[in-house]
Amino acid sequence: MAGAGPAGLHHVFYPRRVAVIGVTDTPDRVGYNILESILYGGFTGEVYPIHPRHEQVLGCKVYKSLEDIPEPVDLAVICLNQHATVEAVESCGRAGVKGVICNAGGYRETGEEGYDLERRLISVAEKYRLPIIGPNTLGMINNDYNFYSTFYPMKVPKGKVSIISQSGGIGLTVIHMAIDEGLGINKFIGVGNCSNLDFADYLDYLENDDSTAVIGVFIEGTSDAGRFVRTAGKVARKKPVVVYKAGRLAAADYYTQTHTGSAAGSFHLYRDILHQHGIFIVNSASELVAACKALALQPLPGGNRVGILTHTAGPSVVMIDYLVPAGCVIPALREETIRRVKQIIGSDNPPVILKNPLDAAGLGFNRSTYGGLAEAIMADDNVDILIAVYCLHKNWELPVSGLMAAHEKHKKPLIVNYIGNWMGCRQDQEFMQKAGVPLYTAPEKTAVAAAALVHYGMMLKGGGNLDCK
Amino acid sequence: MTANEIISFAAASGRNLLFEDEAGALLKAAGIPVNRCRVAPDEEGAVRAAVETGFPVVLKVRSPAIVHKTEAGGVCLGLMDEAAVRRAYREIMKKARLVDQEAQVTVQPMAAPGVEVLIGMTTDPQFGQVIAFGLGGTFVEVLGDVAFRLVPLQGKDARDMIDSIRGNVILKGYRGSAPVDKTALVDIILKVSRLVENNPRIREIDLNPVFAYPKGALVVDARIII
Repeated sequence: MAGAGPAGLHHVFYPRRVAVIGVTDTPDRVGYNILESILYGGFTGEVYPIHPRHEQVLGCKVYKSLEDIPEPVDLAVICLNQHATVEAVESCGRAGVKGVICNAGGYRETGEEGYDLERRLISVAEKYRLPIIGPNTLGMINNDYNFYSTFYPMKVPKGKVSIISQSGGIGLTVIHMAIDEGLGINKFIGVGNCSNLDFADYLDYLENDDSTAVIGVFIEGTSDAGRFVRTAGKVARKKPVVVYKAGRLAAADYYTQTHTGSAAGSFHLYRDILHQHGIFIVNSASELVAACKALALQPLPGGNRVGILTHTAGPSVVMIDYLVPAGCVIPALREETIRRVKQIIGSDNPPVILKNPLDAAGLGFNRSTYGGLAEAIMADDNVDILIAVYCLHKNWELPVSGLMAAHEKHKKPLIVNYIGNWMGCRQDQEFMQKAGVPLYTAPEKTAVAAAALVHYGMMLKGGGNLDCK
Repeated sequence: MTANEIISFAAASGRNLLFEDEAGALLKAAGIPVNRCRVAPDEEGAVRAAVETGFPVVLKVRSPAIVHKTEAGGVCLGLMDEAAVRRAYREIMKKARLVDQEAQVTVQPMAAPGVEVLIGMTTDPQFGQVIAFGLGGTFVEVLGDVAFRLVPLQGKDARDMIDSIRGNVILKGYRGSAPVDKTALVDIILKVSRLVENNPRIREIDLNPVFAYPKGALVVDARIII
């Protein structure tokens, strides 16, 4: 459907004055929680709750209607039912509001009657050229502006990754996984039914949003998939776009139709055509978060050759299973590197096999040995990016300083797989990620992270989806 | 005739499935190598066309009433001489005339066997025009070993889709067979992409099979829906 254009979205994401239409005084209602969310998030603009009977909610003066608000409003968050929402959008248009977020469901996802109601909603919005986020949405977060307008009051670490999600539930999954991963979020957009703003419009907006460096997308299906992939491909030349497409089975179509009113479409088509447009595709919410984290923290590698240092073989096997089909190469180490490895280990005939992945086994527990080996692999011209695997231990510590020194010396991307639990790894994770090195606790996520960096590194070099003919 | 004229003519005749000879002319106009195809209005015409084409030939029924030619007993392959052509013509017509008094046949040379591939275009409700490539027959239908790309395709996309199917090992040559001419397949894919991009009235194309040879490729059967 017709896009409102990226320029028109600035007031939606960075509103100075926000009306919350349909605010209520009980915490079990959406209207209450949206107001609380805005307040709890630390919004510094003006908030105008609206309800015809309440005087005060959450310490805020409540206005009877939009007309009672003394200043022009930029954005209205509408938390009324689906029918009242249409009327409210009309009054927003009349009052010169520049954009609306419609939370209510009950539109095209419910069938014919809802479809007609949504047509009415859209035609009212078009009359006033009003961009709508939703309807049928969790809402939106602009963490760059402390503006949280979902009905789940929360605060999320700030960062450079923005998320576009067709599902509120998967959106929340991604947000909470991001918190666990220590990944900061810039913007979150729950697109809902994509009434007059589709994925492509949000991608266009985020392309030119300087505070967003990486975009993660969760999509079930969209009626204009051609425009979605073309736009994603265009944006990906400027900043990485990672897509998680769900709804793989024909049977899923029924559920997605009744979820956001969009058919899932053929997964096979999405997969092939996203690939055609140079988009990195992931298979789960945790992969989405893992890939976005690496892309937000690390520079892109100069090539696709991955070095792996470990002291336990299994994780490297798991990683190679993922890395090679994703277009990565596990190169042989140079003679010079092997010589240096022998020097570091202090034996001409060590009880380990000297190759890539380099499994240093028992010799790798030692911090200085491990750091030295990491440096030697990083120095190898055959290696573009290093994955370092280390296991959480009561007495031995992750060789943080050695890894960081190697990373800084050679300016090659580094990803750490610290095998352990979040509580045990938290301190090292925070330290390393502050310094720009992503740390994961699972080899699968580590591999996805490396593959994502390689994918966009190769694209930057022109090897991605560019026509080299 | 140009592609546009062929499409307009079929549309004006109330047909959305092009005749084989029309599909052939349309592909030829797009620069795609396609098996020759002549229309014969009667038995003598069929014999004449067969002699001029050179044996062996293929006879196929040509009727707007018959969409699935093989199922309707409307296809006879490998006809070696005049007598075989006459027999085939009568057999095809016996069945065809039951549904269409005006039915005709097309006469085509039997193409030299090659590796069978499929090149198609479908209009997806979400994506619009999408090109498909796979090995013919069961590889696509049963195994789903087919690659899709959105129109318009670049050379890189066409090469990539050929490389991405599992059946690519067969195209690359195995057990001593020569590899097929990938450049010729890329060329057809790109020309189909350009054809449908320039003619949005085309809803569906099914070039199945296309024979891929060590040198060159040839469209043997073409189904085009507008």
